[in-house]
Amino acid sequence: GSSLTSVPKTLAAKHPLEHSWTFWFDNPSAKNKQAAWGSSIRPIYTFSTVEDFWSIYNNIHHPSKLAVGADFHCFKNKIEPKWEDPVCANGGKWTVNFPRGKSDTSWLYTLLAMIGEQFDYGDEICGAVVNVRARQDKISIWTKNAANETAQVSIGKQWKDFLDYNEQIGFIFHEDAKKHDRAAKNKYTA
Amino acid sequence: NSEVMTKKYSRDFLLKFAEQFTELPEGFQVIPETAEAFVVSNIGTPRDPY
Repeated sequence: GSSLTSVPKTLAAKHPLEHSWTFWFDNPSAKNKQAAWGSSIRPIYTFSTVEDFWSIYNNIHHPSKLAVGADFHCFKNKIEPKWEDPVCANGGKWTVNFPRGKSDTSWLYTLLAMIGEQFDYGDEICGAVVNVRARQDKISIWTKNAANETAQVSIGKQWKDFLDYNEQIGFIFHEDAKKHDRAAKNKYTA
Repeated sequence: NSEVMTKKYSRDFLLKFAEQFTELPEGFQVIPETAEAFVVSNIGTPRDPY
């Protein structure tokens, strides 16, 4: 018989993900000290199995319980959730808005769709972030090649389906966001 | 060869594991900078000072 069948169940039971992912947290109290943008982002944990995902997810606050100002990221391993990261530099992001405290389910569904490789253009995805702000929660998916319209629009449409989100969403190039900040215009909509 | 196939998991499949893995990964330590992200901080008090 095959020796493979004798692997203990406890070892065989973990379900590997296609990618390793890292959770990052940006601490709102550190931000208030006017540190350089991005300098307070810290990696929390890198996971590569379904089981390890839940071990972390079940112990971290969901967006509704995070303090205003907090940013929570889940990015593919080795990609930093910053514009300057070489993988993200030519990318952009889709963003979905929610009233403050109403993004928990969508945040989870976004994570599950990413780690479960439910996007047809999953290779284009860098990661996702939830920004907790006084008036609203924002979830964004960051992608690699903003100019690849086919891929971006596919991701935007599928994401809305996964979240059952009916309003129009917009895609902003990081380059435009850098230049124009909040005045940056959507390049694509879904 | 299953190794070249993308490891896809549906939302329903992933959700089945949610209740089973509630403990932090073994050996995991929360650092002070990210403690407020955690529901229960297990930073603890090291016996020896850093």
